[in-house]
Amino acid sequence: MNSNYMILLPVLLPVIAGLLIPVIKPLNNRNARNYYVIGIIALTGIFTVFVASLGDIHLSLWKMTDSLEIYFKVDGMGRLFAVLTAAMWLMSAIFSKEYMKHEHDESRYFAFFVSTLGVLVGLCFSGNLITMYVFYEFMTLLTLPLVLHELTKGSIAAGVKYLFYSMTGAFLGLGGFFFLSQYADTLTFTEGGVLNMTKVAGHEGLLLAVVFFMILGFGSKAGMLPLHGWLPTAHPVAPAPASAVLSGNITKMGVLAIIRVVYYIVGADFIRGTWVQYAWMGVALATVFMGSMLAYKEQILKKRLAYSTVSQVSYVLFGLSLLNVTGMTGALLHVVFHSVVKNALFLTAGAIIYKTGKTKVSELTGIGKEMPVMMWCFTLVSVTLVGIPPTSAFISKWYLGLGSLETGISVFSWLGPVVLLVSALLTAGYLITISIKGFFPGADYDYSSLTKQEPKAVMVVPVVILTVVAVVCGMFPNSLISFMSSLAGTIL
Amino acid sequence: MAGNLFTNFYETVAVILFGIGFTTLLLHRNMIKKILGLNIMDTAIYLFLAAKGYISGRVAPIIVDGVTDPVNYVNPIPSGLVLTGIVVSVSVTALMLSLTIRLYRTYHTLDIDEISMRSKKEDF
Amino acid sequence: MELVQNFPFFNIVMCLASGVIASILSGKNARRLSIGLVSVVGIMSTCVLGYVLKTGEFYTYMMGHHPAPWGNEIRVGVLEASMALFFCIIMLLCLLGGSKYIAQDIEESKLNLYFVMINLMLSSLLALVYTNDLFNAYVFVEINTIAACGLIMIRNNGKSILSATKYMIMSSLGSGMLLIGISMLYDLTGHLLMSNIKESVATIAANGEYTVPLTVVIGLMCVGLAIKSALFPFHSWLPDAYGNSTASSSAILSSLVSKAYIFLLIKIFYRVIGLHVMIDHKITNTLFAFAIVGMIMGSISAMKQHDVRRLIAYSSVAQIGYIYMGIGLGTTAGMVAAVFHIMSHSASKSMLFIAARGLSEVSGNSKDFKDLKGAGYRNKIAGIAFAVGAFSMVGIPLFAGFTSKVYFAEAAITASPKKMFIAMIALAISTILNAVYFIRATISIYTPRNEHFNDPNFKLAFTFRVALVLFIILNFFLGIGSYPIAQAIEKGLAMFS
Repeated sequence: MNSNYMILLPVLLPVIAGLLIPVIKPLNNRNARNYYVIGIIALTGIFTVFVASLGDIHLSLWKMTDSLEIYFKVDGMGRLFAVLTAAMWLMSAIFSKEYMKHEHDESRYFAFFVSTLGVLVGLCFSGNLITMYVFYEFMTLLTLPLVLHELTKGSIAAGVKYLFYSMTGAFLGLGGFFFLSQYADTLTFTEGGVLNMTKVAGHEGLLLAVVFFMILGFGSKAGMLPLHGWLPTAHPVAPAPASAVLSGNITKMGVLAIIRVVYYIVGADFIRGTWVQYAWMGVALATVFMGSMLAYKEQILKKRLAYSTVSQVSYVLFGLSLLNVTGMTGALLHVVFHSVVKNALFLTAGAIIYKTGKTKVSELTGIGKEMPVMMWCFTLVSVTLVGIPPTSAFISKWYLGLGSLETGISVFSWLGPVVLLVSALLTAGYLITISIKGFFPGADYDYSSLTKQEPKAVMVVPVVILTVVAVVCGMFPNSLISFMSSLAGTIL
Repeated sequence: MAGNLFTNFYETVAVILFGIGFTTLLLHRNMIKKILGLNIMDTAIYLFLAAKGYISGRVAPIIVDGVTDPVNYVNPIPSGLVLTGIVVSVSVTALMLSLTIRLYRTYHTLDIDEISMRSKKEDF
Repeated sequence: MELVQNFPFFNIVMCLASGVIASILSGKNARRLSIGLVSVVGIMSTCVLGYVLKTGEFYTYMMGHHPAPWGNEIRVGVLEASMALFFCIIMLLCLLGGSKYIAQDIEESKLNLYFVMINLMLSSLLALVYTNDLFNAYVFVEINTIAACGLIMIRNNGKSILSATKYMIMSSLGSGMLLIGISMLYDLTGHLLMSNIKESVATIAANGEYTVPLTVVIGLMCVGLAIKSALFPFHSWLPDAYGNSTASSSAILSSLVSKAYIFLLIKIFYRVIGLHVMIDHKITNTLFAFAIVGMIMGSISAMKQHDVRRLIAYSSVAQIGYIYMGIGLGTTAGMVAAVFHIMSHSASKSMLFIAARGLSEVSGNSKDFKDLKGAGYRNKIAGIAFAVGAFSMVGIPLFAGFTSKVYFAEAAITASPKKMFIAMIALAISTILNAVYFIRATISIYTPRNEHFNDPNFKLAFTFRVALVLFIILNFFLGIGSYPIAQAIEKGLAMFS
């Protein structure tokens, strides 16, 4: 068999295996199902790494119409996102094993949880715009049941809202696809863009507008203004492991889509120095600031984390909007760091809900005494996310700041670092305070009612692993940085 | 313009009749009057067709005296169309009437608005 | 002349004859006859399609050895043959899927009459597809209307009779306008055969004569057919007619009857008046405007519905708008998209109607979403089919609806800039609205409630399962394997002119 067909392996395996979960009878047993799920996800992870190691292979699978071809391609960007996604999925799956015990309809949850992974890997390995769009739509559809898992009125409303925002965003992207197909000879992802400049001549204004709307559209998944509204609604209602991957990985797919459009279809040169770049930077910075502010004011823990995601993913988008190697490096680093950290944070929140049922920040006083290991991890990753040197997010933010100064655009070059700094302070404000209250509940705390609430090892281990990764990456970032900057160098 | 209307008075009358029939069918509430409107509308079209087929001074294309030159006869196709049309309109009218009888048996009225209101209240 | 060339004519006559025969059979035998007839016609249409594809040319079939311009002709090209085949497939699946409910909804003694109507309907559909004679088309439009009316009223309760009456009134208005349009066109050109009319119209238009009468004729015919196919402002009869009849009837009405009229309109565009003359008379722009409004208003009305059948019916209004938008673009690409959407919408909509009936069967025969909650678990195959249909309507990739939306968008991009923007925006808005109400409906049928409807003795009809599975396969086929179909449509449209 042609080795190119290997690409299909990590895509189809979880989709098929996932959809089989409600069908196969032995999997009604909880234990069997849990091992099956973890096994499939681990296997997918191995296959993903294997495919990523095969080199630049590509596969043209099927032609739907003249312009619509299902085409896969493995390149550096795809590798990065695919491996990251598979790793996070494994952590979340291990955590789900215990967490989902207090939920209902576990088999439905795992069916969609597992198959979503396949779709995401497919999205990462997509080789052209339409293939990406197909997987993008399926990502929305398959994650929808995760959001409305509770099937209460509120969660269904949240699900419909999620759907509405995602569809709007995806359709902006699809509309852009039709316009771009008129001005490019092919829509296969190619470093540096595929626009045919002779066709473009005279239509630059239209095309810039199209690109801007595509960025906004795909930005809806990444939680960028003005289509960020679904995040704080959808994340809190989903089960914690699902909100972890929603926040840590699904949002990154929006980022990936924007990277593909801007760097692989349109080409960075086309929008450098135009109003699109400035508007994009403005929107990203506004989102960074607004997200932190709203997170600071929010009292429900998971909602606070969701707003934090809005803010942090826009760091990434800001880095992308700089259109230079340094900014891009920072953005890619932040993709990895934020994904790790946000997964850890949401899993911790899930553990708190699972053991104590507490959802509000104000109820968490003294929580550090009840579940010390969990809260230690929470504190460490919080510090990491705030970006106190020498932790990981410091490095990414440093690169973002440098990149911003490098652009030489009059206002933004200094406004960027300032907003990043202010937002980092706010991040400290909304995350570190939880830890402080958790460990130092104050004099009036009743120590007699204290009970050890530390959850089981299956819940603690993934969080600890994520924390260790976050911290170690911050201490020894050199290989990661060189990988990212070489990746950024190839497409700019 | 007005002169044209006068010389083509068959067509003018046909169009006016069509309008009357159309509006009656569309706007009248009474089912029987709606059906009358339908028939007026159809008849107007037949009048139009018949008028188109007739050429003054000629006769129906039935060979009696061995005259085979088409110059002497009117165009027979519109007459054929009218006949077909009458068959169609008869069947449609019959169907409409039978529907009206059914409606009257169920709702005891011929007013279509009244029937709509009553049927909305029904629950099944 | 080869035997296969006779098939279209044979088919029409067979259908008419079996309509007569079915009236003296018992209900069960009439059903067998109908299903057999539809299958046979389908097989014969496949042969015709194969023959036309092989020769690569259309052929005309003369009736009664009267040559043009006097005789009555049938004309068979790739598009006609594939449409006939497609109509047969859909009709067969609708009959199979709804056969249990036909028996439930209709009195035993009247059962055979239903199949009389079905046979007549099929004959008129085939005739509308194949005919090359405008007046003949009118006659079969009326037969189609009467048969459709019979399909609606056969349930024989107050509501369905009222719906049938409303349908009949609107249809009569439409046919009246079509007939006077045809009469005037005959007056202008002196012909009734489509090809001859087209030559005359081309001469008239080239000389600049009779501009106003020609506009009037075009307007009358288009509006007449628009009323009959429920384009937006003329759709008032549609929700009642689709909502109150038996499942097979709704499916056939929505997927075949209205589509046959649209197909006739496309024929009028290409074969009678000519596309350029149509565009010169601005009729495409008018249809385009109505279509855009319909796409959005239909979806908005659908959002307000609590009744699953009426929701699907209102979604039809929006989808008919899509088709007219394709026609209104006035380009060949738009027309291809419109014809493809005729197919993909027929396949999805009839599946939705049948599935919805299956869902309400396990919910105490209620059509309200409150009772339908959890129906997707009680009737699994219907739930899946409903979800597939809903995804197709929304335009999720790999389903039929997505492919037709892609064709629409690609056609819109190449049209004039004004139409391009309007069409793209309307497509976007309507897609999002579709997504909201269809996905909400799907979520609703998968919300586990209403356990009291659980009936351990409930058994699904075998034909229902088979039909839905075939529907799902057909949907995926249209979604994934659309390439050859689109090419066939293009070839067929090229044969039209």
